[in-house]
Amino acid sequence: MGVEVLDAIAARRPFRLGELRAEPEGDRGWVVRGPDNGEPREVPAEASAIRALVRFDARGRYRPLSGARGLPGGWFVRCRDAAELEWVLETVYPLALVHLRQHAEGSLRVVGLDAALARQSGRYAVAAELSPEGRRRATSVVCSACVRVPLWAGARPAEPGAIPCPEPCSVLISFCREAALWERERPAPATDDPAAPFADFEVEGNPLRNAYLRAQTVEARGRA
Amino acid sequence: MRRGLLLVGHGSHLNPNSSAPVYQHAERIRQCRIFDSVRTAFWKEEPALARAFDGWDAEDVTVVPVFIATGYFTEQVIPRELGLCGRVSRVDGRLVRYTGAIGAHPRLADVIVERAREAGAGPETAVAVLGHGTPRNPNSERNIYLQAERVARRGLFRDVVTVFLDQEPNMRDVLRFTNAATVVIVPLFVADGWHVDETIPEELELEGPDTVRDGRRIRYAGAVGTHPSLAEVILHAAEEAAGWA
Repeated sequence: MGVEVLDAIAARRPFRLGELRAEPEGDRGWVVRGPDNGEPREVPAEASAIRALVRFDARGRYRPLSGARGLPGGWFVRCRDAAELEWVLETVYPLALVHLRQHAEGSLRVVGLDAALARQSGRYAVAAELSPEGRRRATSVVCSACVRVPLWAGARPAEPGAIPCPEPCSVLISFCREAALWERERPAPATDDPAAPFADFEVEGNPLRNAYLRAQTVEARGRA
Repeated sequence: MRRGLLLVGHGSHLNPNSSAPVYQHAERIRQCRIFDSVRTAFWKEEPALARAFDGWDAEDVTVVPVFIATGYFTEQVIPRELGLCGRVSRVDGRLVRYTGAIGAHPRLADVIVERAREAGAGPETAVAVLGHGTPRNPNSERNIYLQAERVARRGLFRDVVTVFLDQEPNMRDVLRFTNAATVVIVPLFVADGWHVDETIPEELELEGPDTVRDGRRIRYAGAVGTHPSLAEVILHAAEEAAGWA
């Protein structure tokens, strides 16, 4: 995985990374494009300008998880050279190229969900109480909303441009905390509210919360 | 030896502005070209603290937590996630120097003074240093009192008082703590965000940067952490750490 991205940068060939597409331009330059969505507008190759764009989805919701599917589209960035290209990619998907390289070299340090939950403290200590079924369900729900591929869950990527994920992110840890509480309180799933904040799992309309609670309900019926 | 600087922020799953000052200070410091590379890492955003050193070729890294309070995050969470064992550690073969929370640094008082003056503070004005505080953690107030004392010792303002959002002495009573006709409130927070932009102005019923109440004036300054000169405080903290063996 990922070798094709690194090879494409070295050989100046078009490639995909997550939901981005990049193609060489001129002798040294590159163009990075967001998903197709209407007439594209040019964004300067500055981290602040790119962050202002990619940290919000098409509805204007904050995207705290860089890999969350639904990167806003209709924009492109011109990069002077490969160094600027890498800076732009780093801004959209932090550490993606580092992890691609380390994965290709076999040096990527992988940490699983059990270890990540076991070291939590404070308000997140309760996350370690989540059952094995809950951990599997939480991983399925949260990671399916993300373009990164959880190596730590045994996933093996097939799509071109897949980004390896070496360790559960803070969004998943936060979700596991709430899921541990749901195992006690057993709330019912509610109607999805597409405007609910992506990572506010206490909001009843949160789609990830409801996907988890629906799966929990179905599995409980299956056991009954 | 390649030198790196790592700025650590809390970040947020809910507030997109929370990490902005950390990015901005990192960019200012990059432009100084003092360090070979400058990175950022966050508790609740990316890159995650636990992956902050991934693929970094810096052999000597100074870590500066852009946090106001010295406490749970700066003493437990950040060292644990970064694999630190004190103020000087070896992590994957690199030397890592860990400064305390930027909120404790003596030069932070300069930034508070600048914020106060920008909002119109002078010799006849009172300055209220406003911290978050919480009754759940007695440590969270320590740096607020410390910085307010440093500002007071300079003798630039008629009074310097300390108030809190979430504990006593509470910000709602700010006018009771001084007789000055004008009180400048300086929020000692890292970011403009939910508290600085919303909860504090709402709770104090401020009408903007300048509010007249009972014939007295309340001026509301910007957050200390967003001031450009905080980058200089970070550089001072990093310079001091460079002397640690």
